[in-house]
Amino acid sequence: MTTARLAPPNWLPTVVGLGSGVLVLVGVEILVRLGAINRFIVPLPSEIVLSFARVITEEDIPRRLVQTAWECLAASLLLTVFGVAIGALMHRVRLIRLACETWVAAFASAPLVLAYPLFLVLFGRSTLTIIMLAFLSGLPPVILKTVEGLTATRRVLINVGRSFKLTPAQQFWKILFPSALPTIFVGIRLGMIFALINVVAVEFLINFGGLGQLINELAERYDLPGTYAAISFVVLISIVFFIVTERAERWLRS
Amino acid sequence: MAVAATSDRVVPAPQTEPAILVVDDLVMRFVTGDGGVTALDHVSFKVKPGEFLAVIGPSGCGKSTLFSIVGGLLSGYQGSVSVAGHSIAGPHASIGMVFQEESTFPWRNVVDNVCFPLEIAGMPKAERIDRARHFISMVGLDGFEKRYPSELSGGMRQRVSMARTLASEPKILLMDEPFAALDEQTRLLLGDKVLQIQQQLKQTTLLITHNITEAVQLADRILVMTYRPGRVKRIVDIDLPRPRSSEIVSSEAFGRYVAQIWSDLREEASRGMVDDETRKLHAHDATEKRS
Amino acid sequence: MAEIVTRAPATRPWVSGVTLLRVAIVLFALVAWEVMADSGLFYRGVVPSLSAIGAALVKLLSTGDFYWNVGVTAEEIAIGLAIGGICGVIAGLVIGGNRFIAQAFEPYLYYLGPTPKIVFFPVMIMWFGVGGGSKIAMGAVSCFFPIALSVAAGMRQIDPVLIRVGFSFRANAWQMATKIYLPAMRHPIVNGLRLGLGVALIGTLLAETKLSNRGLGFLVIQAYNSFNMPLLYAILVVLFVIAIGINAVMARLVRLDDARRN
Repeated sequence: MTTARLAPPNWLPTVVGLGSGVLVLVGVEILVRLGAINRFIVPLPSEIVLSFARVITEEDIPRRLVQTAWECLAASLLLTVFGVAIGALMHRVRLIRLACETWVAAFASAPLVLAYPLFLVLFGRSTLTIIMLAFLSGLPPVILKTVEGLTATRRVLINVGRSFKLTPAQQFWKILFPSALPTIFVGIRLGMIFALINVVAVEFLINFGGLGQLINELAERYDLPGTYAAISFVVLISIVFFIVTERAERWLRS
Repeated sequence: MAVAATSDRVVPAPQTEPAILVVDDLVMRFVTGDGGVTALDHVSFKVKPGEFLAVIGPSGCGKSTLFSIVGGLLSGYQGSVSVAGHSIAGPHASIGMVFQEESTFPWRNVVDNVCFPLEIAGMPKAERIDRARHFISMVGLDGFEKRYPSELSGGMRQRVSMARTLASEPKILLMDEPFAALDEQTRLLLGDKVLQIQQQLKQTTLLITHNITEAVQLADRILVMTYRPGRVKRIVDIDLPRPRSSEIVSSEAFGRYVAQIWSDLREEASRGMVDDETRKLHAHDATEKRS
Repeated sequence: MAEIVTRAPATRPWVSGVTLLRVAIVLFALVAWEVMADSGLFYRGVVPSLSAIGAALVKLLSTGDFYWNVGVTAEEIAIGLAIGGICGVIAGLVIGGNRFIAQAFEPYLYYLGPTPKIVFFPVMIMWFGVGGGSKIAMGAVSCFFPIALSVAAGMRQIDPVLIRVGFSFRANAWQMATKIYLPAMRHPIVNGLRLGLGVALIGTLLAETKLSNRGLGFLVIQAYNSFNMPLLYAILVVLFVIAIGINAVMARLVRLDDARRN
């Protein structure tokens, strides 16, 4: 007779995971204090935590956050509207879809952000450059997922529409589009994540904008704890963003 | 409670009224990789107003093709289909279709699903909700108006589809094995519901099915089809009393009708099986030769 | 019986229709470009003529300097991919192999994955200096996450029977890893490597554009700083062709491998 192993409580793994993270930080703190790690390369974790408050107030984090957020929002809006429109067009005109779908997929794998110097020349060191790069980077997944969602509409639902003599426009808005919405949202979510990543990256690279620029600035000032704090802050924001969009996607699927 | 629009259905004496649906000499061929196949071979029949006609046949007899053609979803056939004297060429407002597969819109709740054809027709909101509720009640789904299809069982979802089609008040109701995916008990009960509705609305109905019990339970006449190429093998008048209920299945007359139809069908069904096996054998030989 | 679909014979014209449209689009783009370049609408030189770009491209590809820089970048990417890849595979094996560990630590990978890794670059510079080390580190950090996640997911979809077979022969951890887990996961690993290569490429190149005096990224910034637009376009064209080309080749390999195994 075998004894069943008691399953560990639900929260235990999460606690262990987070706990290990804390332990690592404590370990680093000790090592730096002992001098085993050069404190000009790795500042004391406690110092980093303390500098959070300073960075938030002195470096005007709220304004920077708003700026980065606004850039993301603009890019997200653009990629949603254009992505769905182009995707719908590709679905409607089969020839365009056959010709261009692989191109869009290839474009998705292209490292567009590498062309940021070009965008600098075209649009200057401005918000527009950031928005354009983020918009174009996030566009392909929206297009591809829109085409995928529309194409996967169940045949019988299309036939229901035909049996009620729907016009092509009605067929699209009342049947195809609602049916494809969950898949389209997956694409929009991917696009938004790419947009966020590229917004912050380009802000960092061109030293302009909100949070990304902050990291760059603090690094150039050799404010070590501040730089680490700013980086942590950005990582935190991106995680929150990721989780929020994940929840939204799951809600839409239900 | 009764909504005005549904009461102007006149019940004619069946013998004198002209047919509302006329299918004339229908021939449908499909071109496939290995030659072609004739799905329907000179099929003709008439349906009178208020009549319930069941079309029964083995798999492969072209029933679903017939359903699609009469519904206007399929073209490229020879012959004609006319409703109330007018030849149809494409989906027609007076033909309502209930499909075999799951066809409710998952993103709309029950009342919005049923409102769909009324919405398309431009009916004002209050009126269409009222009308929809009437039909939701008719299929026995009172209280479920705000639920979404994912919260309903398969049988309930088919009822929603039916209510939706009925809401458009078609002259002819076309159903393609709507209960195929349901279990026997649910089928019988839903069959009861369909009987009730059809009797109440005097709805002309064309039901495609492979289930003999269902056909005899519901129909005034049964069209038995042959295996491919599909032809009308026999038309059987079902002289069981109306109004009916599912209790009729235990009567002697019922049993006789079922036996009669089965003997017709069995012949066709076994032809279908032999044909299937021959084809599988040929396909197997072909792949063997290629490897 | 389900709806019968009319199977019409394949119509030949579609094939050439697609090619025709593609050619038309490309031609239209090229012509539009040339028109914009000559129109003078844009600030001088921002949109150079195709011939200027072409000339710069030819010149670029014929200098040994270019290939040396490509070599530098390639080396950085390769080493970064190797380091990130090995760490990623190990992390993936560990996390994928044990449910508790997965629940405890995979969230780190999952949530840290979609963050802009380039922001870690200042830290990499502090730790590894301003030379190649920081670029390699950038590449390694970038590709670690997708590879680890792919491997972990791959671990989970291994048929448990295979694992039990390994245990029944009393294989030790190393043998299990090399003889059972890794071969069974070829597809997820290769796919993870394809993704990893993509992000390692981006990470390394971006790092080079930010702070470097060698490599392809450096060439890009150099062209930008000297406002040599034709050269900038030329380098970018080469870069994109390489990046898309590598991705396409790897995708092809994955598909061929799949086809061979099925």
